[in-house]
Amino acid sequence: MAIRKRRSFPDFLDTYFGDFEEEFERWREAVIEKPSWNLKTCAIQPLSDMKVTATEVIMTVDLPLTQEKTVEVKPLDDRTLEISAEMKRKIQFKELGITHRKGEFRKLHCHTRVPVPVQMNKMHVDFKKGILEIHIPRKKEQRQKEGLSRDF
Amino acid sequence: MSEIKIIEKTQVPSGALMLFGFPDVGLVGVIAASHLIEELNLEEVAYLDSSLLPPIIVLHDGVPHSSIRIFGNDKILLAVSEMPISANIIYQVMDALLDWGKSKKVKMMVSLSGIPIEDRQDATELKVFAAASSPDVLKTIQGKNMEALMEGYMVGPQAIMLMRCAQSGLPAVTLMAQCFLNYPDPEAAGEVLKGLDTLTGIKVDIAKLLEKGEEIRLKARDVMQRTQEEMSKMKKGQEYDLPVYVS
Repeated sequence: MAIRKRRSFPDFLDTYFGDFEEEFERWREAVIEKPSWNLKTCAIQPLSDMKVTATEVIMTVDLPLTQEKTVEVKPLDDRTLEISAEMKRKIQFKELGITHRKGEFRKLHCHTRVPVPVQMNKMHVDFKKGILEIHIPRKKEQRQKEGLSRDF
Repeated sequence: MSEIKIIEKTQVPSGALMLFGFPDVGLVGVIAASHLIEELNLEEVAYLDSSLLPPIIVLHDGVPHSSIRIFGNDKILLAVSEMPISANIIYQVMDALLDWGKSKKVKMMVSLSGIPIEDRQDATELKVFAAASSPDVLKTIQGKNMEALMEGYMVGPQAIMLMRCAQSGLPAVTLMAQCFLNYPDPEAAGEVLKGLDTLTGIKVDIAKLLEKGEEIRLKARDVMQRTQEEMSKMKKGQEYDLPVYVS
């Protein structure tokens, strides 16, 4: 007979509230408006888009004024990607049409969560005309659970 | 009292060509309109005032301006919005602008816009399509070797402009350059301006536009983001739908 280890109450709380906090943070980021730039990190948040097909997740990120060799795509966990790229030159607020703030930006940076299980280790990255394109194959088990046996 | 007023700042010419550059896919219309204003030194001749608009003003050179303005010279009137227009008020705003244009006896209306394509970053050549308000205008387009948009759906301010002009018999064209859906696309704006030249003979140098392309993409992110939200409320995705032909 298998012995099921009971989790202690504090462990349960940690897990439960950990998940809750994570979900709340995601909701807060989606709902509450905030600037698309961060002066502390000298970073601007780029525009991005994501498409989930039957076989893969395709993500694009608009990275103007950046150099391909500085583009970094880093999986933070099995569902989250961090993307950053250094700018070709520093951009001041006034160049963006803002004269009442001071500061400069040196990179584009964002992180994004993939909505389905994927194989991060099989990720393929391409960069054309300042657009970063990331292809990540979906996990087969998950696709089978969803009944997606054919590719579209 | 009308809910929307168009306030004229200077004498507005009659018989001009009226252009529209509103936030839409790839911000093609807005980017093209900004470039036209700069290259042709167009002056602000009128602006739209309404309590239907969100409480937003745009500060330029230290003074407030409406987010929907009309620029012009003796030949052109160009209506441009720096903010996406909410789906809830788009009909009222467009009707006010179209009625105002008709009161100025404009000879033709042209909307500058985009048509999104998949894998835009792989495209080496961007096509420009034109949609006409009448069979006569369609002939004019085809006579200039422009590719006419013959079937499909159109969503947004340019759709209202085309339909209203078709109803009133005022010649109108919507020019659409292939573009990114969700990213600002200065290259597509350049192509739509080439299309405008072919259609109307209005020439502008697009070299500066292409040169500043990356800066424009960086600056226009926030407007693009808000435009996406409004496009989604307008069911912009319907432009991808396959039409059901009812004969």
